[in-house]
Amino acid sequence: MTTQNFVEPLKDGTAVKILNSGYSRAWIAEYRGPLGPKGARIYRVLVEKKPRRVYIEVREDQLEVLNDA
Amino acid sequence: MPSAAFTRWQNDRTPRLNEVDAHCAAVLALVPANPTFLDETLRGFVLHLSAHFQGFCRDLYTECSQIWIAAIPAGFQATAQAQFFAQLALEKGNPSHDDIKRDFSRFGFLLNLPAAHPAGTQQLTDLGHLNDWRNKAAHQGTQPLGGGVPAALTLPIVQGWKASCDGLATSLDGIMRVEMLRIMGVAPW
Repeated sequence: MTTQNFVEPLKDGTAVKILNSGYSRAWIAEYRGPLGPKGARIYRVLVEKKPRRVYIEVREDQLEVLNDA
Repeated sequence: MPSAAFTRWQNDRTPRLNEVDAHCAAVLALVPANPTFLDETLRGFVLHLSAHFQGFCRDLYTECSQIWIAAIPAGFQATAQAQFFAQLALEKGNPSHDDIKRDFSRFGFLLNLPAAHPAGTQQLTDLGHLNDWRNKAAHQGTQPLGGGVPAALTLPIVQGWKASCDGLATSLDGIMRVEMLRIMGVAPW
């Protein structure tokens, strides 16, 4: 696992865990910009690939990078 | 102080659209005139304008939803984010008045853009015409649009639609500031 407060926005395709959620593994799909409270970075995250792609938008501080991808 | 979405509309999206506007004006001034290239250029302007206005609406929706979500317990946040993002009309559809109303109604109020500005009704008519032309250009439509939609594109027409989008963006930013203040009890931005 990697710590939070990344210097640069996470890259598309990075495997992550959304903290305090039922999603065990997700992938960064798009950096949406500093649209969160006090400029927090927001990401569009792919949480399910099949049978259809499902996305949600989350703050960076809700994410933990999975290094075992 | 405006939202981050509106700041981006003013400082990034509008200058980009102004560049396209200037390009159209340069094509319009060509000697000899090139009406085919001008038509293609104006269609490009329409596509860019619709895309940037949709982007602004999506940005503002995201910004407001994330501010609201950050105020609830951490254990509820991913669930709320999934709900806010599910079946979002502005994710895929044109930025129509109906889709904007449908998505922003999730904040628990009835969005009334016509009443937000004396020119609100005209601005929404222009937005509808912009979206009709956006679809015609994107899908190479050959049928006349009818219903008061201009039969041909001119630079002043598209510039008018751009001004209306700017007015609607200003109104939507102001409305959401008031609504978020009502919901949260503090100014959102």
